[in-house]
Amino acid sequence: MESTPAPTPFLLLFRNSGPETHRHLTADQRQDLMLRWNRWFDELVASGKAVEGQPLELETRLVSGARGERVTDGPFAESKEAVGGYVKLLVRDLEEATEIARRHPGLEHGLIIEVRRFMEVCHLGVTGTYRSKASVVSAS
Amino acid sequence: MPMPRPPLPGSVRIDSAPKTTPPPPPGAQPTQLVEHFFRHETGRLHGALVRLLGVHNLSLAQDVAQEAMLRALRSWSMGGIPPNPSAWITKVAMNLARDALRHNRMSESKEGAIITHLEQTSSRGPRIADSEMEIRDDALRLMFVCCHPSIAPDAQVVLALKVLCGFSTSEIARAFLSSDAAIEKQLTRTKQRIQDSGIGFDLPEGEDLTPRLDGVLAALYLLFNEGYKASAGDNLVREDLCAEAIRLMTLLVAHPVGDTPRSHALLALMLLTSARFPSRLDEQGELLRLDGQDRSKWNWTLIERGLGELVAAAHGDSVTEYHLQAGIAACHCMAADYASTDWPRILRHYDALQAMKPSPIVAMNRAVAVSNVHGPQAGLDALDEIPQSDRLEKHYLLHAVRGELLWQLKDYAGAAQSFRRALQLAQVGPEQTYISRLLDRTPNA
Repeated sequence: MESTPAPTPFLLLFRNSGPETHRHLTADQRQDLMLRWNRWFDELVASGKAVEGQPLELETRLVSGARGERVTDGPFAESKEAVGGYVKLLVRDLEEATEIARRHPGLEHGLIIEVRRFMEVCHLGVTGTYRSKASVVSAS
Repeated sequence: MPMPRPPLPGSVRIDSAPKTTPPPPPGAQPTQLVEHFFRHETGRLHGALVRLLGVHNLSLAQDVAQEAMLRALRSWSMGGIPPNPSAWITKVAMNLARDALRHNRMSESKEGAIITHLEQTSSRGPRIADSEMEIRDDALRLMFVCCHPSIAPDAQVVLALKVLCGFSTSEIARAFLSSDAAIEKQLTRTKQRIQDSGIGFDLPEGEDLTPRLDGVLAALYLLFNEGYKASAGDNLVREDLCAEAIRLMTLLVAHPVGDTPRSHALLALMLLTSARFPSRLDEQGELLRLDGQDRSKWNWTLIERGLGELVAAAHGDSVTEYHLQAGIAACHCMAADYASTDWPRILRHYDALQAMKPSPIVAMNRAVAVSNVHGPQAGLDALDEIPQSDRLEKHYLLHAVRGELLWQLKDYAGAAQSFRRALQLAQVGPEQTYISRLLDRTPNA
């Protein structure tokens, strides 16, 4: 490839990554999983493919209702739907993002990864804050 | 000269004070946790939680510790490992404990006082950075809880593995060739027993100390033995059992309560025995007898440590069975090969063991030593002289030993007969293979 097209941002959303998923693991299995998870992420950052990523706290709050009057707990972290964390990628295309997701060590234990491409502008005309230049924290 | 104390295996270095530093920047390699970090952390955490919640809340302590571990797993995979992982987990666990207690809505009772205590301590800043001494203290107290005389010996071992060594129920079931359900049931019964007996979180003292310490030593000896048995099953898990026994013994002797000659003797026995593990199996994974093992594979670090412990054990005027067994193990470890082993010395140790605590198994092993000093016929005579040898009749080793001695006397017919009897009685694969090999090399078998 002569000219590299500008990398595209993707979001990986992790589901089914709560404590219930890992409760049956032995202590050594947990340790092993954690180390491999971190390695998966660190390698992505070092190669500039991951911009950021973090786990999300278990406590969830839902706001709804016409005037935001409905504030409730949930979905609970135990449910498969709850989002447990995210990673923002800067890669060539959906295929590459998918390949990266497929390599995740958490999949072995039931992790579900949703892969989404960022849009510049949504159907309402709302612009995102995506910058065309890679905004990676430089790997030291 | 006593050996310097090695650092506790598997312990994470705890920094002086917990820092609220931000997580390491992306790109920083996660720190390599020491081997079995989580597993050992469970033991330490249980100690701290039981101290706070009380022995009767052991189940709650387990749940809280488990939850804290899982949150760590969740948070650290992605956020990276914090600078002080132990402190992180402890803080989370203490918060969870407080929440759990409050949820149980106990106000008047002792638990109310605990909540107040927790709140007071946490307002001063969490009591996280315990001194090494306090941490060992808690773990030791927990050890004495697990090995309380009102709990059956095999139940003690299972509880210790769960609560002190952070083994999962499945791992324990695999190690003892049992089922998850059976182990779970045993644990429930044991914890109920603990509640009913009102066992406290104290270190024994005064005239209580000796029998209680003996109980702990017996339990750890049992634990080590479980790992040592080269039975069918997961070999790796079994060697982990031995490693855990050594780790707990090391903890024990480092504390005034456990720093006795017989404790050092038991630790010496464990170290010297496990030093020889690497040579036990051949390339095909089959059992090798001592005379056929490659001694260059022995772990000399463990042997040095073991000999050091033996020196520490050589104080005072009591000689226990641990001393004698360790002495025998030391003789083997210090011999260049089977032939140049100090068999007369080993025989003297067996004589003393037999006098102290007569048992057919000890007598059988003694007969092997006799044969090495006085020849195979003397060994056979010693076998015949074993009192209560009917207890040994069903034990495959008796017939294997007899067969070997007959073989040395060139009584091949007699040897074959004994080996066949042994084969009938051998219960697990490795033993059967081992006897078959003996049969194979017997002419006209």
